[in-house]
Parts: sequence; structure tokens; C-alpha cells
Amino acid sequence: MNLSESKDFIVNSGSLKDVRLFSRDVFEKLNLDKNLKEELVLAIAEAAQNIVKHAYKGIEDTDDKMQIKISLNDNKLEIGFFDKGKPVVEENIQHRQLDDIKPGGLGTFFINQIMDDVVFKKDQKKWVNHLVLTKNLSNN
Amino acid sequence: MAYNVKEDGNIATVYLDGEIDMDVTDKAKELIMPLIEAKKEVHLNLKDVQYMDSSGISVLIESHQKAMELGTKVILKEISKSVLKVIMMAKLEQILNLE
Repeated sequence: MNLSESKDFIVNSGSLKDVRLFSRDVFEKLNLDKNLKEELVLAIAEAAQNIVKHAYKGIEDTDDKMQIKISLNDNKLEIGFFDKGKPVVEENIQHRQLDDIKPGGLGTFFINQIMDDVVFKKDQKKWVNHLVLTKNLSNN
Repeated sequence: MAYNVKEDGNIATVYLDGEIDMDVTDKAKELIMPLIEAKKEVHLNLKDVQYMDSSGISVLIESHQKAMELGTKVILKEISKSVLKVIMMAKLEQILNLE
């Protein structure tokens, strides 16, 4: 089954619930295993949270939207995140070491655990940041 | 996120309900931290928490560390399957008090 769905969300923490609802709805159509579905929802929600937390750091009220696009082609799942926040500096992104027990820094670690690939692309004129998460569902 | 708190002597049991994400972490901290600061032993009942992300895990870590600092403890009770999975993904099952 091939599919492509996208939705825009206002960039704020209150939208994260809607991001999860959208993701669950899409994955429902794909008839994915429940565990895998919840892992993917977590990865998407963490990436969306990173946009709110980091790309829009210090910006409390904004009408800006982020777009999330979920596509499945030949069992390859691709999830795109588009935003107009501060440009991401990839060198600054690092998850904390797991033996360094402190609050924060886990979101990126979860994304990397769940997905096969995490890539920032510089291919969008309309947007500032374009993150692409991919996972080959044939392996699951 | 909904919640209910029951206190019995020095033990405060906090029943959390719903999804715990970045949007509700301040609310969760405002609920839990004063109990720890009052040096209560805090039991967090997580049986009705269907979803928790890294922000929620941060609240658990922060609560645990604050309790240790003040000589009390936070015990996670009846952890739902989905929350346990995230705790294990973060490799915190040996760090936090799980029951």
C-alpha cells in the first residue's frame, strides 16, 4: 500500500496532541503492529517537540505552522517535518549519554532508536528546516 | 492530563491519567515537586497513563533526583505497558524506583 498524507500544525506545545492524533490516524490506515505504531508516534511527536522547543526557542506566541508529511512507498516509510523557525545547526544536535542521568536530551535519542535514518535536507525554499525520518517497514 | 492525590501519613499517592507530554510537564511538576519538598514519599501511579514522551521522562528523573537530594523517594507504581517501554528505552529501569 502506498500513501501520502500531510497536515499543518501551529507551532506550540498544545499542538503535540493533534500531531499524535494525526499520526495514529495515518498509521491506522497502514494496519501497522500496535507496538511499532506507538514507537513511530513517539518519534514523530519528539521531532515535532524539537521544533517547538528548539527551532522556536524563546518564541512563545506564533501563528507559524509546521507541516508533517507521512508517506509510504514500497514499504519505505518517510516522515517529513517542515518549519520556518531558526535554522538547525546539525553539529549542535546531540542526545545525552545514557549514563549521564539528567532531565532532557532524550527526545533525539528516542528518534534515533526508533528510525533507520534521520536527515536534515536543504532542499526547501518555502521552509527553513526540513527533517526527514525514514524507516524500512520490510524489516518489521 | 488529569490527576488525583491521596495522602496517608507520610505517603502521597499521585494517580496520573492521560497523556504526559511537553504541554503538561509544568502542571505535573507543580503537582509533584511540592510533595517531595514536603519530604513526602511520593508514589506515582501510572496505570492510566497511556502515553509519555521524553518530557514526561524528564519529570520522572527530576522528581527522583530531587527526592534523593531531600532524603525521601519517588516510587513508580502500576506502570502502564506503554510508559514502561519508554522508561526501558531510556534505560532508566535500574535508576528509577519501579514497583
